[in-house]
Amino acid sequence: MPSFTSSIPNLQAVGPLIELQVAVGSALESTFKAGAEAIPGPVKALAMIDTGASVSVLRQGLAAQLSLNAIGVSYINTPSSTNVPCYRYLVRFIFPNEVLVETNVVEAPLQGQNIQCLIGRDVLAHGVLIYIGGSNLFSLSL
Amino acid sequence: MANVLETELKAYEHHRDNLLSTAEGKFALVRGDAVVGVYESEIDAISEGYRRFGNVPFLVKQIVRIETPLNFVSDLLGV
Repeated sequence: MPSFTSSIPNLQAVGPLIELQVAVGSALESTFKAGAEAIPGPVKALAMIDTGASVSVLRQGLAAQLSLNAIGVSYINTPSSTNVPCYRYLVRFIFPNEVLVETNVVEAPLQGQNIQCLIGRDVLAHGVLIYIGGSNLFSLSL
Repeated sequence: MANVLETELKAYEHHRDNLLSTAEGKFALVRGDAVVGVYESEIDAISEGYRRFGNVPFLVKQIVRIETPLNFVSDLLGV
């Protein structure tokens, strides 16, 4: 199972952050190739692993950078709101060590810390997350 | 949220009872006011949507009686 390990000083304060890339889903990539169209390049993003997120989240605007159109709508509950409609997009997350996951994310505003993605339980469902707080390490195998 | 997929959501609601009786749990692909097809998996429906229509908005929706919202406990979400 491919994996990567990250060391983050003061992991407790900062959280499990990852620099990754977000790419269009493989189905759309095939469509672009079939039409001999240029495939939008992956976008670099700072992501946080969030075990409190049902699914992964893209910051609002990131989907447009990838020329993505919505392929669904889901309703979300947050600490301050309920039943907020959000668009869905199929993307691939490219983690360090070329660890890849394709998933159907929601797009929503994210505030603070320049975080552009939340990696939710849809991704974690495919793998093993090890969080070693005392050593400021975490590891994700997918 | 803008009104992208508004037509598709209305079409899904219009056909919802019939879809529930014939394909509960499966995934509907909707484009404009037409239910294009029903698929066993979400990725099958999405792939067919891209194959038929290209990179345009379309709706893939699981056919369920009660839609459960997705939950987020983090206050990073600005909604």
